[in-house]
Amino acid sequence: MIFEVIERSLRQPNRVIPVEALLGNCDGSRMPDVIASQLTPAISQKLVEVCPTAAFRIEECDGWACLKLSYGECIGCGKCFEPGEGAVVAAKSFTLCGNPKDQLVRVWDLERRTEIAPLRPEPGVVREQIHRLLGKALNVRQLDAGSCNGCEAEIAALTNPYYDLERFGIHFVASPKHADMLLVTGPVTRNMAEAVRATYEAVPAPKLVVAVGACGCSGGIFAGSHAVVGAVDAVIPVDGYVPGCPPTPAMLVTGILKVLRRRIAK
Amino acid sequence: MARVSKNQSSEAAIAPPMAKDGAIARLVTLFGSLGRNRDKRVHYVFDAGDPNYKEIILPAEAGIHSIALRVPAAAWYERELHDQYGVEIAGHPDLRPLIFHENWPDGVHPMVDAVESVPWSNREYRFLEVQGIGIAEVAVGPVHAGIIEPGHFRFSVVGDTVLNLELRHFYTHKGAEKLFEGRSCNQGTLIAESISGDNCFAHAVAYSQAVENACRIDIPPRASAIRLIGLELERLVSHISDVGGLCTDVGFSVAASYATRIKESLLQASSRCCNTRYWRGIAVPGGVRVDLDTGKLLELSREVAEAAREFSDLAKLILTTPSIQNRFETAGILRQDVARDLAVVGPVARASGMDLDVRRDHPYAPYDQVQFDVPVTHYGDVMARARIRVEEAAISARIIQEAVNGLPAGSVLASLDTLGELQGSSAVESPRGELYYWLEARDGRLTRCHVKSPSFQNWPAMPFAVAGNIIADFPLINKSFNLSYSGCDR
Repeated sequence: MIFEVIERSLRQPNRVIPVEALLGNCDGSRMPDVIASQLTPAISQKLVEVCPTAAFRIEECDGWACLKLSYGECIGCGKCFEPGEGAVVAAKSFTLCGNPKDQLVRVWDLERRTEIAPLRPEPGVVREQIHRLLGKALNVRQLDAGSCNGCEAEIAALTNPYYDLERFGIHFVASPKHADMLLVTGPVTRNMAEAVRATYEAVPAPKLVVAVGACGCSGGIFAGSHAVVGAVDAVIPVDGYVPGCPPTPAMLVTGILKVLRRRIAK
Repeated sequence: MARVSKNQSSEAAIAPPMAKDGAIARLVTLFGSLGRNRDKRVHYVFDAGDPNYKEIILPAEAGIHSIALRVPAAAWYERELHDQYGVEIAGHPDLRPLIFHENWPDGVHPMVDAVESVPWSNREYRFLEVQGIGIAEVAVGPVHAGIIEPGHFRFSVVGDTVLNLELRHFYTHKGAEKLFEGRSCNQGTLIAESISGDNCFAHAVAYSQAVENACRIDIPPRASAIRLIGLELERLVSHISDVGGLCTDVGFSVAASYATRIKESLLQASSRCCNTRYWRGIAVPGGVRVDLDTGKLLELSREVAEAAREFSDLAKLILTTPSIQNRFETAGILRQDVARDLAVVGPVARASGMDLDVRRDHPYAPYDQVQFDVPVTHYGDVMARARIRVEEAAISARIIQEAVNGLPAGSVLASLDTLGELQGSSAVESPRGELYYWLEARDGRLTRCHVKSPSFQNWPAMPFAVAGNIIADFPLINKSFNLSYSGCDR
């Protein structure tokens, strides 16, 4: 009966996960992290060979052989952990969500076993930054450009009592005409390309676009298919990227808030 | 008349096999492949009531004769075959393009020819037009109003009542079956997992079993027990999510939110157990990729027991609420004869009186050693589909407990010899119903992989359940089917 359901709900404890515990959290995503001190050219070669989406590459930078890891292409399959022999582990945290495309890549110098331009630790001013976002509302329209629905499942989870996106003033809307931000999933298929453009056009300026998931960032496992046009940025301009296959709700929160913070700082 | 007989002599045709009850056997799938000399072939797979499926292969170079008028379930498959392989199909009532939209040029068949870049085209597509005084058309999609996948629905309504609903899908068609070609048997798993993300584990297991069937190997008992835990957990999560979704669609948001909370607790438990919320990257051909810690599995099974108890209590309250009963009962009835004609599968079939479940009828390890009931009801409405899911969720939770308590020790990965020419198939009861993989490989590389998804099978039945209802009930009826767009479109 309806009142019993409500009564039961009221007796539930508050499940909401504090924002500090969400930002940078990537549990359950199997995003790889590289331990630079353990890295050798032989291991790097193996990583390049096992990666099914060519997220790992060996390239020459400034005359040195370097290992590049492009997170936009990574589908979190974990196939690199074993041949990584301790040099590749499941990341404990992942702070690149929401970055522009050129900042989704990490590079390690194989000669010196160090990371080139390592990640700057996210300053501990998150709470202050979040406070600056408060008092502003963000309307988000989710757009599936051809996804497998894995990303949809995780985006839908953002409204459950653990993530409760509404607490940040972020609200999912039904029409692109009501939206400030498009959250676009999937590789853009041939059959969806026109609808993706039309949806983008319908969003009032200034519009923010976030590409979600390995497919949205790079085409993922579907890159190169005859039925796929490409990643989201092959069709519309993108402001920030959230890697992962699928990205976890915590990664999505991290990415959305980062794109928003960057916008406000402008 | 003379022309008809000429067609019949040149085009190959099959006689659909009969089941034990004297009716035509249930069509499982129908698909094309290329023979050794790249000659086109058509495969028909039927379920005639035996544990083994019955496969008929027909040469199709000179075209085939449609079986759609006798076996309506074949209609979409034959259209797909026409699109993918360019096989001429005589006597089909509707050969409009299915998977390739207006942007696709005529005469390009990616499963036959190497397609480098497909030119953009703008050909015509006509919807069925219902004519008469006071009839209006309502076009919905491909972009929908919620966090859901894209597809187009064309309603012909008179007032609030839907006279006809025509589906236009395949917006998320990603050419997945073609992408399998050339991949190693191991890498194929990654594509299988991305056919329908919310049922990724069922796809990974069905694909892996097809490779194992092709290599004629059995996987270690511990691996099949872990797979069973994952499959039943996926069903539990999916059914909880569906019942919650039904509440959303009738505005019962407190119950819906409660269901998302229970679902999330299981996803987080999975993440703690195996570092993946949806069991991605666990199943591989030969078993499971890494062993799962027995202690962590025990922890998971405790969470499952708790979630199942809470969900069972919640579902009881939901389904006895009079305003819910008012919305669910008699809404969206799928008649049993329609369900049979369209060879519907899964909870949708069982809610319309079809007693089928791959786990029992075509058992795969270790379901041959598990005792469980298959709930069936004949009402065929939204309430029936909800009740089936509630009962199945409880059964899945019990199967998980038993599997964790009786978990065998030992290795979890058998080695595979994929040299030479291989061919295999496999079926799994996914949360949406029968999922069937058929594949061929040469020296470890896939040459063809066909995916029959329960959503492709069930979508054509949904308009029959919607017709005669008011358009405002469409979201509810659609949710009660819970079909995957990507799984259908592939």
